[in-house]
Amino acid sequence: MNLDVLSIGLQTALLLLLAPLITGCIRNWKAKLQNRRGPRVWQPYFDLIKFLRKDMVISEHASWVFSAAPYIVFITALLVGLMVPMVTVQAPLSLFGGVLAVVGLLALGRFFMALGGLDPASTFGGMGSSREMTIAAIAEPALMLAIFTVAITVGSTDFSHIVATAQQPGWNLFNPAHLMAFAALFVVLLAETGRIPIDNPSTHLELTMIHEAMLLEYSGRYLALMEWGASIKQLVLMTILVNIFLPTGLAADWSATSLGLGMAVFLGKILLLSAAVVLVETANAKLRLFRVPDLLSAAFVLAAMALLSTFLFH
Amino acid sequence: MNNTLSIEVGSQIIMLLAALMLVIQLLLVVQQMLLTNVRLFALQSLMLSAIATVVAYYYNATHIYIVAVLTLVGKVIFLPWLLNRIVRRINIVQEIEPLFSAPTSMLICGGLTLLSYLVARPFTTLHKLGNNTLAIAIALLLTGFFLMINRRKAITQVLALLTIENGVMLAAVALTTYGMPLVVELGIFFDVMVAVMVLGILVYRIRETFASMDTGKLDQLKG
Amino acid sequence: MDFSLTTIDPTSLLLLAMLGYVIGSVSGLVFCRWERLANFLSFGFATMGGACGTVACVLSLATGASSAPVQVLLLPPLIPYVQFTMRMDALGSFFGLIVSLLGFALSLYSLGYARGFFGRKNVGVLGLFFNLLILATTLVVMADNAFFFLMAWEVMALTAYCLVSFEHEKPETRSAGVLFFVMSHIGTGCIMLGFLLLFQTAGKVSGNYGPETYSFAGFHALTENANWLASGSRNAAFLLFLIGFGIKAGIVPLHTWLPAAHPVAPSNVSAFMSGVLIKMGIYGMTRVFFDFLGNPPMWWGVTVLTIGTVSAVLGVLYALMQHDLKRLLAYHSIENIGIILMGFGASLMFLHHDDLHASHPLLASLALIAGLYHTINHAVFKGLLFLGAGAVLHATHTRDMEHMGGLAKRMPQTAFCFLIGAVAISALPPLNGFVSEWLTYQSLLQGFGTTDSLLRLMFPIGGALLALTSALAAACFVKAFGITFLAQPRSEAAAKAHEASPTMLMGQGVLVAACVFLGLCPTLFLKVLDPLTQQLTGLQISQQLTTANGLVLSGVNQAGGTVSTLGIALFGIGLLSIPLGLWLVFGLKTKTRIAPTWDCGLQGLTPRMEYTATGFSKPIRMIFKALFRPRREVQRDYDFSPYFTTTLRFEAHVEEIFETRIYRPLNRWVLWASRRMRALQAGSLQAYLIYIFITLLLLLIFAL
Repeated sequence: MNLDVLSIGLQTALLLLLAPLITGCIRNWKAKLQNRRGPRVWQPYFDLIKFLRKDMVISEHASWVFSAAPYIVFITALLVGLMVPMVTVQAPLSLFGGVLAVVGLLALGRFFMALGGLDPASTFGGMGSSREMTIAAIAEPALMLAIFTVAITVGSTDFSHIVATAQQPGWNLFNPAHLMAFAALFVVLLAETGRIPIDNPSTHLELTMIHEAMLLEYSGRYLALMEWGASIKQLVLMTILVNIFLPTGLAADWSATSLGLGMAVFLGKILLLSAAVVLVETANAKLRLFRVPDLLSAAFVLAAMALLSTFLFH
Repeated sequence: MNNTLSIEVGSQIIMLLAALMLVIQLLLVVQQMLLTNVRLFALQSLMLSAIATVVAYYYNATHIYIVAVLTLVGKVIFLPWLLNRIVRRINIVQEIEPLFSAPTSMLICGGLTLLSYLVARPFTTLHKLGNNTLAIAIALLLTGFFLMINRRKAITQVLALLTIENGVMLAAVALTTYGMPLVVELGIFFDVMVAVMVLGILVYRIRETFASMDTGKLDQLKG
Repeated sequence: MDFSLTTIDPTSLLLLAMLGYVIGSVSGLVFCRWERLANFLSFGFATMGGACGTVACVLSLATGASSAPVQVLLLPPLIPYVQFTMRMDALGSFFGLIVSLLGFALSLYSLGYARGFFGRKNVGVLGLFFNLLILATTLVVMADNAFFFLMAWEVMALTAYCLVSFEHEKPETRSAGVLFFVMSHIGTGCIMLGFLLLFQTAGKVSGNYGPETYSFAGFHALTENANWLASGSRNAAFLLFLIGFGIKAGIVPLHTWLPAAHPVAPSNVSAFMSGVLIKMGIYGMTRVFFDFLGNPPMWWGVTVLTIGTVSAVLGVLYALMQHDLKRLLAYHSIENIGIILMGFGASLMFLHHDDLHASHPLLASLALIAGLYHTINHAVFKGLLFLGAGAVLHATHTRDMEHMGGLAKRMPQTAFCFLIGAVAISALPPLNGFVSEWLTYQSLLQGFGTTDSLLRLMFPIGGALLALTSALAAACFVKAFGITFLAQPRSEAAAKAHEASPTMLMGQGVLVAACVFLGLCPTLFLKVLDPLTQQLTGLQISQQLTTANGLVLSGVNQAGGTVSTLGIALFGIGLLSIPLGLWLVFGLKTKTRIAPTWDCGLQGLTPRMEYTATGFSKPIRMIFKALFRPRREVQRDYDFSPYFTTTLRFEAHVEEIFETRIYRPLNRWVLWASRRMRALQAGSLQAYLIYIFITLLLLLIFAL
């Protein structure tokens, strides 16, 4: 069992430090596209430090579940990040879990976040929990089918293995199956990170909130952990998307040049995907809640067609 | 055959474009804004002409180039412009509720795609440039038919007919040796043009008589 | 293993356990006037019996005694042709482990729970039937021949009926009991027919029709017989057993008795029913499909996989609509049976071999292990959830979630146990539900490469629907745990709830420990399953599934994917250092204040403003309204303006399509047919004589 402490430490640091930057970039670019100046790209870092330094107010109705949820959300996001290859082909914790463990851990974080929304006896929190669990449930089949399509062609559910196979010359990026799986996963990315057209991350109207509504009662360092956890989850999902379908530039060894190159290429790919997310967010309006299943079932059928194409399209 | 670019690359490009045509067809099934539908159809026809171009390149057949140019001029530029004009004149921009809800129609289209793959399986052993596209062509046909059943506005039904024709054209271009004779292609092409123009006039008439584009109201034309 | 353990004979230990159950039932009956004594004795002996049984079964599986089982004659052969023999083979020991473990935990729980019945009902009778039920169930899994099996099966069904109808003063309980009884006997009828078919074939093969012909060893020998493998009656047997055991297991569409019977029984009985009784259907299916029927044709596996997937999805969808806590848990049992059957169906598909295709024994073992692991997991966490629900019911005197709330502060230990059960059943890492679903996904994924036909599409689609099921289950348990235990109490009873008694907590604690063990140490437990797969598919694969000194679980080969729940748990705890570090660096001087929840400027939040269970599941109800056909009625009363209502009455219904579309019409048709047949009962002596005469003539003609 070769758990390289150095690789774990480096990848953890990368996750922690890069995630708020991506959130900040997306907010800034969205504003620029809307002809506003927008917040600084570094603003999320300052926000996190501010939250960590503030006092906390906890609801009198809340139980210990409310206090446990932020830690679970944060830690599951980090664990998931460690199982996914970011800069190197071999993810640090790839032995501990692959695709299924990632989906399961994200579900665990979501479970406790939903409970944390219900705990303070606030109606908005309950509403956010209900909607979040529903949307996650409808997005799961599309996610699983798209990932299964990739896993089946590779024969493994281990991310590092998938990425290593994808780097071989026989793999074709423009295979229609992979493009369709990418499109389905992109829609699921939007659903899981709570972006337009499924949820508006910057809304102030409680009745339009899904993710934000569960965080309304959190303050201080709990809120910092929740926000940070959500950013890390977003970074991890984006990493999965880019590194499976475009695995160029991932470092195969530990030399400084390949690591540096891998880091640069990774940053470039993530920023490119963030730009795509920004474009989609700006060009669309948020869907009504009962129109979201239409979108997600379209993603499911797309993933199903991707699956069909794997073996009917040789 | 022209082999400066290898045959695999050509096959892959055709496969990719054909799959994109199918994806656009699925989007047409769920999309409710009429103007967007017209643009999607234009995009689909653009892909079809690209496929024709690739086939013409590999077989070095000038008449397929002509088919590609005709498709480009007729189905990517002229027909969408015409339909756009009709939609703006009638001033109805959105489809009414379809017969099946969006998730159900997506699932039905998925089933139809599966069926067309099953039907086309015996043919995939042919050694042709675009032998995988027969399944997509049949799928385009079936989903186009389903689109015609599912929607009520006349414009969308016209679009559905045109996508069916796209499917037939795809099968003809990609599968037959050196494409079909030019005369046949031209005949089909002008046939479709005339059909659309007649339908365009009829749509005006329907609108004037019933003050709506809902073809469900045509059942008043009974004896 | 040290010397003393290996010298304990598992069979004698199990017989000791059964003796304990007998004493427990007798003492329950004898001392039924002295409640406390009856409670203590009957459930005390049941606890002891459960403990002995658990140890016996673990020993039998771990020491390999189950590979060479010993036949034990329980009672002398009083009736000709009937033998009361039992043996502890691997399959029997595994299911015996489930029965005994749950029996132990539930009896421990009942010591405290039965106190709620003091003064109202006869606790001695409860103890009597409970002990008999555990005894009968143990005999069902250990029985060695068809006749004894059927006898034990019947006793099990009858005692279960008595227990379900324990609180028979409520009409809902009576009708649920009758429904349970009728469905159970329809199932038993099918099973009897199936065994008769097997008996007939075995007799034709061996030439004699003695007691050896209907022993299980005799049925197992049929699998080598080529005539049997080619015959059509094998398919008939498969269908009969599928329906018969399926009714007991609760597959869709034969499940309607489950959500009726499980809620109305006392909670320890509901836990036993959901945890163990429906697994008897699974035991029967495993025994018959894998041991007796030989090489399965492809359509058997496809049927079981389809039934499993449909049951899983429909079970969880209906569970989401319930706000009766125990009914919700009952529907989840249907869902989990579906998941178990998915594993079995995949296994049957992999075992199929003919001239064109080879079988895949490795994958078949993997899928079988996935199904069996999920069986014991479900028994453990469903039992735990029902015990928690029982504690809540005991404290608040209501089953309706809409009247609960705030119990996490008033019943903290029960809340913790229920939370562990909820996390386990939603298949969240690192607990046991995740492990068995991981194994199921792996077998489905690897199965894709086994065949070239279009059937292989079933595997990824099944996987996607399994993902839908577990995500919906997570949503359902957020609702169940959140509405019941969190936020403010919605009624007086919930506000005054008190924590459960120590024995009730101990019973739950046993199952919590089991959940955690099965979740964190799967590789240890897999060794126990080795003799089982050896017996059924001929392979022992726990070595292949373990890597890295037993800390990591892998699919059939390590490249296929690995997971380590223990690693995840330990690493997660290690990662806690980061928030701790952040707190030390930034937050040492911060204070924490307790304040009311933000109330938008109103005078404080009342329990009426909290989210309700019905409201929580509304988005899903709307999305799947083609299935549910929800109806709602709203009636408002107002004084001077409709915008200021004084009273509001709201009623919402969800249609259970199996009841309204299948069972009620069937019911009506049967009653119509019976009314028509009543015409035969003409009342006149002549008519009856004519019937007898005609029958006699027909028999004579037939014999010609």
